[in-house]
Amino acid sequence: MIGGSISRWTMTYFAAALTWLLAVLTLMIVGIGHPATDLAAPDTLVLVHVVCIGWLSLAMCGALFQFVPVLVARPLFSERWALPALALLTAGLVSLLAGFMALGGRLPSAPWLLPLGAVLLVTGFSLVVVDLGLTAWQRPTGPARFVLVGLASLCATVVFGTVFAFALAGWAGRIGEVVLARGIPLHAIAGLGGWLTLTAMGVSYRLLAMFMLAPDVEDRQSRLTLVAGALAVAMIVGGGAAAIGFGAGLNTVLAIAALLGLVCATLYGRDLASIFRTRKRHHLELNMRMALLSFASLAGTGLLGVALVSTATLPMHVGALAFLAVFGWLSGLVLAKLYKIVAFLTWLETYGPVMGRAPTPRVQDLVAERRATKWFATYYVSVWMGTLALLAKEPDAFRMAAVAMTVGVVGIVHEIVRIRRLEDVASPLRLPAGAVAPHLLFAKT
Amino acid sequence: MTAYLDVDARPILRSGGEPFSVIMAALERLEKGQGLRLYAPFKPVPLFAVMADRGFAHSERALDGDEWEVLFTPVEAKAETGSPGGEHAPFAPWPQPIMELDNRDLDPPEPMVRILAAAEKLGPGETLSSLLSREPVFLFPQLEKRGFRWLGGFRPDGATYELTVRAPS
Repeated sequence: MIGGSISRWTMTYFAAALTWLLAVLTLMIVGIGHPATDLAAPDTLVLVHVVCIGWLSLAMCGALFQFVPVLVARPLFSERWALPALALLTAGLVSLLAGFMALGGRLPSAPWLLPLGAVLLVTGFSLVVVDLGLTAWQRPTGPARFVLVGLASLCATVVFGTVFAFALAGWAGRIGEVVLARGIPLHAIAGLGGWLTLTAMGVSYRLLAMFMLAPDVEDRQSRLTLVAGALAVAMIVGGGAAAIGFGAGLNTVLAIAALLGLVCATLYGRDLASIFRTRKRHHLELNMRMALLSFASLAGTGLLGVALVSTATLPMHVGALAFLAVFGWLSGLVLAKLYKIVAFLTWLETYGPVMGRAPTPRVQDLVAERRATKWFATYYVSVWMGTLALLAKEPDAFRMAAVAMTVGVVGIVHEIVRIRRLEDVASPLRLPAGAVAPHLLFAKT
Repeated sequence: MTAYLDVDARPILRSGGEPFSVIMAALERLEKGQGLRLYAPFKPVPLFAVMADRGFAHSERALDGDEWEVLFTPVEAKAETGSPGGEHAPFAPWPQPIMELDNRDLDPPEPMVRILAAAEKLGPGETLSSLLSREPVFLFPQLEKRGFRWLGGFRPDGATYELTVRAPS
């Protein structure tokens, strides 16, 4: 089989990820973590890791288990690793969060929680990296190369995180202390920039071309984008680690990496423009229109970064910058694509076996775009309001924005559940003879 | 003595390309009785079945550095005389398509729906062909589950994907 089959556990990953997203929104509403507390406070660490590991990484892994085989037209190295990996990642995250809460005095002191969480997360991510890496390696062209660099960045992120976890428990000696004291920006940038952003870019090339009937971006063109991104990550990880080792300042490393990151984002913008320009399908579906808002947020993140650096106010507003990158760009793109991916996979799973033998609905018959549009609009507008509230240092306005974001996300989740349950499909076509209704949380393939 | 047309797939594969369409295009250029000499950076096992279906026997030879030279020699005599098994003969070429679909301008996944619907109408061993604007990766498992065989590849322009589907005989 050539890699276009349905991944059994992708829906399970998506469901777990959306649960963590609702958890993070709840934390922001009740005022746990930044901006209610300091950026480096244990409560903020809880918030940041719920969003980056629980929400974004799990959603990304679920999508990759489905799409890496499609990118390389080869079957997944091992379908059987996906579920144990999810269990390990979930247990690791819970342990890590408990460790942070103990640090902040919310739980009784238990220094072993953080190292335990790190070990579980390392094991879970190793299964993911080996499984996806060996699959992508079979035909490392175009988008698959982005995934490989993303996975390498994930490894760097996890290594830094593990050193921090052992250092916070007091088990990492003097070197661990030094890395903990200065390495946090490297950990954050490798995770957000390398793992999540480069991987999202890679997958978007193929998904956008596929759903809009556009020719794939030429390998030579997208390679330049990837080289800029990969150099930025290499600069951060390699240059940053060297600077820490030699006791030198990090500013030069950060400046060069930021410049390379901007070049990468600009080239990505050029690649997207060429996909949109050469598309044969002129009507844009909701997921594509909403993805445009997340591309705008990525551009906004770049511009805001430049503005903050040139006015020397970056340290004051780094929280706002990260918020826009995480919720405007990454979360926005993931939500928009989830909406389409769930509909497409549900359609394929339910109607694939009877297609051509009985009348079947179209993919678009599984969704109600008009109803979903308002939830997405609510989400994006409240994310941008939240960014402004952070820049203006207005924590109450930020919490209001978080409430509005939650309304949007709950609406989107409700739409996704309706898709999975085929609730918007008109009844004569809903379940033709031979078709089986899908399970909400996994594929029956 | 068979004459051979040379195709070197090594540079195409090294640059990340897909040599299938080039090989198929070379097949079109072959004169009667002519064979194909293929150079590849690995042993192209999947191609052997494809070429056998088109009436070519293969013999391979390892070169230095894990590279391979494969000779595809036409076995028309066998294919033309046919065995009592007819379609089951290992070198029997596929019959001409009884249907040709142009699905290049359809929104995905409409091409998949049409091809599956058309494939259901094929008689045993019959084929259909379709033009597409993308490689139909999600269609292949559906075809395989229903027992169909398929051959596909991009035309040399890289913009049109040509797919042939054969019903189980």
